[in-house]
Amino acid sequence: MEQLKVDFDKVIESLKLSRESINFRKKNFNQFINNGFPNKRVEDWKFSDLNQIISSNIENLRFYTDLELGETDESTFIDKFAHNKIIFLNGIISKVDFSFEDDSKVLITNDLNQNETSKEVNPLVSLNNALVASYIRVTVKENYSLNKPLIIYNITTKKLKSTTINLKTDIVLEKNSSLKLINLCGDNSENNFINIVQNFDISQDAILKNYKIDHKKNSNIKYSYNNINLEKNSISENFIFSTGSKFMKNEINCNLNDKYSSAFINGIINLTNSQHHEIKTNINHLAENTKSYQLIKSVLNDNAKGIYQGKIYVDSKAQKTNGYQLSKALLLSENTEFDGKPELEIYADDVKCSHGATSGNLDEDAIFYLMSRGLSNQQSKELLINGFLLDAVEKITDIEIKDLIKKMIGIVE
Amino acid sequence: MLQIKDLKAKIDNKEILKGLNLEIKPGEVHAIMGPNGSGKSTLSNVLSGKKGYTVSGDVTYFNENLLELEIEERAHKGIFLAFQYPLEIPGVNTNIFLKTSLNAVKKANGEKELDAIEFLKLVKKKASELKFDENILSRQLNVGFSGGEKKKNEILQMSILNPKLSILDETDSGLDIDALKIVSDGVNASRSKESSFLIITHYQRLLEYIKPDFVHVLINGQIVKSGGSELALELENKGYESLS
Repeated sequence: MEQLKVDFDKVIESLKLSRESINFRKKNFNQFINNGFPNKRVEDWKFSDLNQIISSNIENLRFYTDLELGETDESTFIDKFAHNKIIFLNGIISKVDFSFEDDSKVLITNDLNQNETSKEVNPLVSLNNALVASYIRVTVKENYSLNKPLIIYNITTKKLKSTTINLKTDIVLEKNSSLKLINLCGDNSENNFINIVQNFDISQDAILKNYKIDHKKNSNIKYSYNNINLEKNSISENFIFSTGSKFMKNEINCNLNDKYSSAFINGIINLTNSQHHEIKTNINHLAENTKSYQLIKSVLNDNAKGIYQGKIYVDSKAQKTNGYQLSKALLLSENTEFDGKPELEIYADDVKCSHGATSGNLDEDAIFYLMSRGLSNQQSKELLINGFLLDAVEKITDIEIKDLIKKMIGIVE
Repeated sequence: MLQIKDLKAKIDNKEILKGLNLEIKPGEVHAIMGPNGSGKSTLSNVLSGKKGYTVSGDVTYFNENLLELEIEERAHKGIFLAFQYPLEIPGVNTNIFLKTSLNAVKKANGEKELDAIEFLKLVKKKASELKFDENILSRQLNVGFSGGEKKKNEILQMSILNPKLSILDETDSGLDIDALKIVSDGVNASRSKESSFLIITHYQRLLEYIKPDFVHVLINGQIVKSGGSELALELENKGYESLS
């Protein structure tokens, strides 16, 4: 922590900030210092002691602004379809490319948004606000739908000096606009803590599809926090593909602020060795006739640990809420652990809310059935596991992106 | 092709098969009839290699010790079990499963694997012979299939894999008369000098459509009586009581 304080002062100096910004960052930094990294005594972190995970994986927590950009690893880029790009290279924006769009309809700003997003202090969001080196806000103007998806690449290289990276993006969708977004990790560095904060403001009738992909095996520790605000009749579709990092916690806080808004959070956690991934969601139904749907499928091998904590909150105003969550986990070795914590907190009386959770091994009879048709044991298991995961992947409404994710998983058709 | 000598099988320390003897020659159709709990399904499971049984005795299949072969090796060598209760496999497309299965068998036998187009042609032909709605093949394997569709799917797999020994475990159960006829036609169409069948059934009904060369009565883990197809009728009239 002492080292981080020294580093923080250097960052403040190097970024040449306004007094107002300095105060904002200092305030956030102090909030982080007062709380520290969350540990298992914090209810939301009881299955993932981040403080312990960081201290046992990162020897010397340092923060630099890596302004010297290395080479971009081209193999990270998706070549299956044309797309707009924002590239973060070692935490610094190295490219912004919206060449498929009408530039009067997509607005880019780089001044850090200093509005408080939440009353409660999230020390990791505070840390992000304090140390973020490069920031981008994308505003999609009214009635505009992007022609091509936007991919935000988060690439790290071996040249990275800092052991922590803080990324922050805000996405604003004005009335009746739409955006398909992929957040793609390309990790080439080792043993870093990567802290990603994204805010989404989705106006009336707007649609956001957000696909979060962490697919390449890497030794990094990641936290991704999404705060989503939904206005009347807007839609937020989220898919989490969580399989690459050593540790990953995806936290989504979603506020259904007005009538007929809906949120979908589907995802898969697919882990080997001693990987440890968590999905934590808070869905807040704050207006009537709002809908939420969540399906999380987990496959755990070796000593892996998977966690899904899903909370559905229904305000007393939010009559006719429809909330659903289902978690299914396959535990393929005796040493795996899956923790599920569904929570329903309901203050309205005319609602439809349900949750379910199952965990177990592959069905031996199903393996026998497939092997009796000539498939090897390995082939049978792969087919069953892919079939298990496909259930969640099929929820992706964008065909192109669905196929991309299927290929990444290794589902053949 | 298949010789079973003194076959015993235990599960959870309970002896189910208690010294079963049977010989099947190429081209023959054998029916095994017996009351509930006599060991009919255990016999089909043991022959196709299901784990969990303690097995003793000799089972020779084309001069090889069948009991030493893995489940999938038995499939590669032409043994096919049509399940009494075909499993529902969510997320696995029926067509992809059929192609994976056929190509696994072909590969093991050193034959050329079928590409997507060749496979589609074959599966269309076989499906239409069985009056099997092609659209069902693009659905998840057995998921939401009716009882009849599941059984037809088993027979479709059988006709695609073209096995040497087909074991039909109560394929007639849960079939209405029309489906029974279609399934029987499918089996009859697969009959040849090389392919043999072991039909396990509770009732004589199926044997009206698939005429067996031999009928065996399995009671309490042993074959107590063998005869021609007329034995099935006799059982229908007198019941198993008279034999036990």
